[in-house]
Amino acid sequence: MSTKIDRRDFLKLGAAATATAAISIGMSDRGLIPLPATSAKAEADAEAKAKSAQRAARKWVMVVDQNKCVGCDLCLAACHAYNDTPPNISWSRVEEVEPTSEGKRVFRPMPCQHCENAPCVEVCPVRATYHREDGLVMMNYDRCIGCRYCQLSCPYGARFFNWEKFTGPNPDVPHAGTPEVERRPRGVVEKCTFCVHRIDRGLSVGLIPGVDPDATPACVVACIYGARTFGDLNDPDSPVSVLLREHPEAYRLHEQLGTEPRVYYIPAESKEDAAS
Amino acid sequence: MTLIRRYVLPAMKQPVFQWMAFLGVFIVVGVVAALMVFIKGLYITNLSDLVPWGLWISIDLSAIALAACAFSVSALAYLARRESLKPVAKTAVFVGFVGYSMAMMMLLLDIGRPDRFWHGFVFWNIHSALWEVTICVGLYFTVLMMEVLPIIGHWDVVEQRFPKISHSLGSLHKLTPVLAVIGLGLSTLHQSSLGLTYGKLVAKPIWYRPWPMAINFYISAIVGGIALVTFISLFAARLTPRARIDKAVLARMAYGVGWGVLFLFAVRWWDLMSSMPAGYVPGKTEALYILTRGRLAFSFWGLEIVLGMILPAILLLVPRFRGNERVRMVALALIAMGVIAYRWNTNLVGQLVVFGTVAGSDIPVFTHYMPSLVEILTGVGVIAYGLLAITFGVRFLNVIDHGEVVEAPAETSVPAAMVPSSR
Repeated sequence: MSTKIDRRDFLKLGAAATATAAISIGMSDRGLIPLPATSAKAEADAEAKAKSAQRAARKWVMVVDQNKCVGCDLCLAACHAYNDTPPNISWSRVEEVEPTSEGKRVFRPMPCQHCENAPCVEVCPVRATYHREDGLVMMNYDRCIGCRYCQLSCPYGARFFNWEKFTGPNPDVPHAGTPEVERRPRGVVEKCTFCVHRIDRGLSVGLIPGVDPDATPACVVACIYGARTFGDLNDPDSPVSVLLREHPEAYRLHEQLGTEPRVYYIPAESKEDAAS
Repeated sequence: MTLIRRYVLPAMKQPVFQWMAFLGVFIVVGVVAALMVFIKGLYITNLSDLVPWGLWISIDLSAIALAACAFSVSALAYLARRESLKPVAKTAVFVGFVGYSMAMMMLLLDIGRPDRFWHGFVFWNIHSALWEVTICVGLYFTVLMMEVLPIIGHWDVVEQRFPKISHSLGSLHKLTPVLAVIGLGLSTLHQSSLGLTYGKLVAKPIWYRPWPMAINFYISAIVGGIALVTFISLFAARLTPRARIDKAVLARMAYGVGWGVLFLFAVRWWDLMSSMPAGYVPGKTEALYILTRGRLAFSFWGLEIVLGMILPAILLLVPRFRGNERVRMVALALIAMGVIAYRWNTNLVGQLVVFGTVAGSDIPVFTHYMPSLVEILTGVGVIAYGLLAITFGVRFLNVIDHGEVVEAPAETSVPAAMVPSSR
């Protein structure tokens, strides 16, 4: 067999190679060559793109006013019920911290801080925890392998492992609310989601999260003292933007770690401070 | 019954089979305990949200660290062309293979969803040190398998019954130099990344020093691994004539390990000194207290520093002691134990200080961890498996055989001492 290649063979080979390359590039999701897609797929793509663009414009933030929190744990009861958490897991916790100079008790609710530079998102070996376009730190319970590395990485202790399967009744149902999400399986990590299901459902019917209770995280709605506020920091008229403008002294936890958390705290102050 | 009477009972008179049966008991108990974990879930362990990585992870880290003998001796033998180390590389590769399989068993128990162990290979997070470890360990285990297959091919049973398979498995041996290069790359990546796994966590001030952690893990793995394989060779040769060793080579290795452990000590000391904060650093000061004066003080000063580094360095380097083979063996075993202690201390020290992650921990508080019975039984089971596998290798697979010239039999570089040691 001759190893020489005549012009005809060369062209054939070239054409075949080009076609192969074109098809493989076209079929990859890089979009280097815009191949004509089926209209349904194009529509779905456009929709998804529009959705992600919409989401990227948001910045969900929670503001906690420590002057108002009395440590009643109503927010926790609502959270347990709406998110159907097992009795040994509480996505959020209310801690008592140093009292004011006047001796007034001070509390600090601690949900997941939904950090912009979340250590858990960086370390998860399978991307089971990830950032959505709007910056919320999400959990994919179907992908988590339960290695618990994220628990080590979290500076806020906001992640909880399902050591056993949650069966039986939820003690906070029904008086504090009814479950809105599925129970998580044994062996995965879970955490506060900022009630992402309420945000998404609310937005889809034209409600404003942080303003309309049905689109706002359960803990924020449940707080009868108005200590928790939720909203879009990119919207200058949202309750959180207004609150943070009024309170430039608001702080975030462990800011020196550079995690850029999305939960702000308005520090409790004694009365003289407030008057002056 | 006749089968038992004819084969099993006579075999049981041999100490090696008694030893294997003894290990078998622990393996059975371990398997039962592991089934309990799989069926009931991880709540039957003493792991918690505060200490999520416990005894199992320590065993896993230690097994991987000591299995570093495989890549380091292979690299010395095939890349640095130390011809006399080639037979030792065979032992090292086998021990490494056993070590990695132990680590994988431990990990399978430890993760909450063992059915999803393969997710790391499909869903990539290239920013995660643990993902890199997963990928590299997975690939490197394949490399080790290809290095171990020729050894199994040379097993009498395979050679006699399946000569063709034996031949094709044996031909894999040609790949060894290539595999040594790949192994060196993959091992360097994941041994150091295991340190980085801890070193890049901003949440734990005592761990948060990426470079020192990675370097310490890497060096201690190499030193501990070579120490272990040298120890196993010397120890096995004392028990059975099936382990044929070249004492001169092993003595040179032990001497090298002596310098290695001295270097490791220097690096570890530099790391400790440079990580000592001048003032009070919340979380870190408490962790250093646990390490140097608290719960882990004995494990740190005693097992890790004095018995694991200083004493063996003296025993292996000072001329008065280093000539004695028994002293050498003790020193090598101590080094391996010191590396295990280092992994145990490192893993626990960060978790025992709780800082800002539970109510009232704005001022750092201490927690504690003691492995539960089921953790200990499964851990012992896995270790028993490792010992059984190595015993099997020495007894049936000739993994310690310096009398055999692996390649280029005509080469003159084979020293006279290569003659099988007679005892």
